[in-house]
Amino acid sequence: MVISPVQYIAIPLMAAFLIPLFGKLNKDLARIIPGLVLLYLSYISVVLMNQIISSNTIIVEIIAGWRPPWGINLVFSPLTGFLASMFSMLGFVIWMYTYNFKPEVDNAQKQKFYVLFMMLITGATGIVLTGDIFNLFVFLEITAISAYSLTAFYRERDGAEAAFKYLLIGSFSSTLILLAILLLYTQVGTLNMAEIALKMPGVDPFMKGVILILFFVGFGIESELFPLNGWSPDVYTQAPGPIGAIFAGMVVKAGIYGLVRVVFTLFDVKEILPLLVIIGMITMAVAEVIALRQGKLKRMLAYSSIGQMGLVAVAFGIGTHDSVFAAIFLMFNHAIIKGMLFLSGTYLVYNSTEKTLDDVDGIGKHLPFTSFLFALGALAIVGMPPFAGFWSKLYLLMAAADVRLMTVIAIILVVSVIEIVYYFRVIHRIYFRERISTIELKIPSFNAKLAMFILAIIIVAVGVYPDLISGFIERATTDLLDKQSYIQSVLSVGLK
Amino acid sequence: MIKQFFVILILSIVGYFLVDAFFKVPFGEKRDNVGNYYIEKSPVDLKVSNSVTAIVVNYRGFDTLGEVTVLFLAATGLGSIMYRRKQKGEKEVRAKNPSSRIIQIGSQILFPMIILLGGYVFIHGHLSPGGGFQGGAIIATASLLMLISYRKFKVSHNAITWIESIAGVVFASLGFIGLVLGRTFLENFLPTGELNDLLSGGIIGIIYIAVGFKVASELTGVIDTVLLNNRPEAQKEN
Amino acid sequence: MNEFLTISFYGTAIVLMLIGLYAALAKKNLLKIVIGLSIIDSGLHLLFVAVGFISNGTAPIFSPEVLESAQQMVDPVPQALVLTAIVIGFATTAVALALVIRLYKHHNTAAIDEIKNLKW
Repeated sequence: MVISPVQYIAIPLMAAFLIPLFGKLNKDLARIIPGLVLLYLSYISVVLMNQIISSNTIIVEIIAGWRPPWGINLVFSPLTGFLASMFSMLGFVIWMYTYNFKPEVDNAQKQKFYVLFMMLITGATGIVLTGDIFNLFVFLEITAISAYSLTAFYRERDGAEAAFKYLLIGSFSSTLILLAILLLYTQVGTLNMAEIALKMPGVDPFMKGVILILFFVGFGIESELFPLNGWSPDVYTQAPGPIGAIFAGMVVKAGIYGLVRVVFTLFDVKEILPLLVIIGMITMAVAEVIALRQGKLKRMLAYSSIGQMGLVAVAFGIGTHDSVFAAIFLMFNHAIIKGMLFLSGTYLVYNSTEKTLDDVDGIGKHLPFTSFLFALGALAIVGMPPFAGFWSKLYLLMAAADVRLMTVIAIILVVSVIEIVYYFRVIHRIYFRERISTIELKIPSFNAKLAMFILAIIIVAVGVYPDLISGFIERATTDLLDKQSYIQSVLSVGLK
Repeated sequence: MIKQFFVILILSIVGYFLVDAFFKVPFGEKRDNVGNYYIEKSPVDLKVSNSVTAIVVNYRGFDTLGEVTVLFLAATGLGSIMYRRKQKGEKEVRAKNPSSRIIQIGSQILFPMIILLGGYVFIHGHLSPGGGFQGGAIIATASLLMLISYRKFKVSHNAITWIESIAGVVFASLGFIGLVLGRTFLENFLPTGELNDLLSGGIIGIIYIAVGFKVASELTGVIDTVLLNNRPEAQKEN
Repeated sequence: MNEFLTISFYGTAIVLMLIGLYAALAKKNLLKIVIGLSIIDSGLHLLFVAVGFISNGTAPIFSPEVLESAQQMVDPVPQALVLTAIVIGFATTAVALALVIRLYKHHNTAAIDEIKNLKW
């Protein structure tokens, strides 16, 4: 069997169906299989990325033998491939972290956790890989259902409440996206994204506007944009720690990918881009100010995550080549850094029920390794020079300066200062206060340490030597902005 | 009061735009779209007389694989949300009072017939209206009927797990066989037979049977999980 | 005549969606909110099928008698999509109901005003 992009979806699905059976044979198998699957997917990511970069093509895989627009197709291009590879590799690292996280959870529950965990990653990967708009909706729902269930995973927290809230807002989002798909189908008569893009100029402008607004709001909810992000702080707080890392690193990223794909590829309406900048700025400003006032660690991280997504939206909204480059770089950095902050932050407040900032006072002496990594992540996310976050922010500011968006630059700088204030406050508490809390600390297991350490290495390596990753991002940027070659390569596949 | 006002405001905005947009879509007119291709080609290429089935299982079969997964995840998620450690000496009670004799006898008579109908619907999915999802749902209603009429009717969760896993694996494996035979995922590799024959449509029939089993077992599992938890709590949580 | 059909089919579907939306936004009971969500879904599904309809159309199923009538068949694509959408709607409703059951057990009420451990 040749390696092909469909394995990103098919192998995890197969494994998910098999896990309940293997779980009967041996209780550890249910935990090990997702790791093996994600490891294999990381391996095929390397192979496929290598293939498309070296041959300078994109892989379009047709499914069920029907070429587009009649069948569904998967597109593995520099952009989608980059995101899919990132999801698989980050997924593997997070799997490593979860391996013996909370050993007291019952085996039956663990098995379900791993099924949902794997499908959350697969759903996000499917969203970025698919070339069919309805198929994208199906993957969005796979992600959503796993996300609702995982949010309510712990019984002793208020997870059910957060999950219900998420479900309520999430169903509005999916209803809107479905309505948009239906209207789009009546206008262009196809569901294939490349063909939609091809036929878009002929659509009535009023219809175009309505469809775009529906998509915009629908995906805006998924990507935590203002004012529809009320679900996310609670979800991040109530969900298990590693799942918070997946939300920040993959689910939201897939949401913003959907938004960007719709705006940049499907539609030819450039008027929406300033709206993206404005919404992004509001999101960022509001979220960071709220983050400043948070007394709970995970809530603070959640608002910081919303703020970062606002930044990504601004960067995409500026719409030049440089700013899109910065946006994709930001997405990558945010996935890695926020992932690490969630992973290490979870151990800082492991046994605490309230998870307030008071619980981390003076913890630097007791959990030196985890605290150090958290501090490193905090420095990286605010954009301190030797770390990865610095470069993406710098590129974004340069891109904004190129098009003379001084207000945007000013707001980003002000917001960065706010960010520095609240992250440094946590670092201060970790290192320069005495520990008063009597809550028993949990020492991370070896695999959890290794997982966090890998992410830390990536953050430092990309920070010191950004060219490691910028080549891929450059290709991804060109791929996203080059609509014609996307349409052309999808629609010409399978023509003999 | 303010909330009511907002709700009405939102409703009117949404309603206005929906009406405005959809009333511009001509009703009952034939449009130029991919649907025409499917109607034209499905009896020729796949020898499937029900075009909807051809689309669901083959042209857009990947969606259906995703759809089956969504259902599987809902069942898994439901189990995880409703999970509770069993306490010692706890009895699983479904309903407080048993149903009346009439309902019990009636459901005994109906049960095999409903199962038969469900099986018929999913086996003939490519010939007549219906298919795996519909047939599976019909079968699940049969177990619902039994669950509400008999307090002691037990659904074996072990069997449900086996059926749903194997059915899912069959679906995914058929996809992989298409891929391994040198072509594409989920591609039809069996002879398509004659139009309007029971054994037509290649892998479509097999996939729909697998889907039927999977949906039936999953829906039964979901119903059973929800009903089982309907017992008085032994103690308040936390 | 066609005008009347447009209003009755699209109109009914949209009105259903609005009723569902009203229930989901304004009702205080969790169960009613979930019912609202599934009414929205029903309206949406009706809209799908209505969009694919053709005047005097037949079901897109061939049988020996109607083999030649391909021109008069309704669009099968919305029907296929709606099948997927129904299943997804079912899955969401199932998860929502499970959450409602758990919230009810935990708080002993289904009134949304009394379940406020988190900020809404």
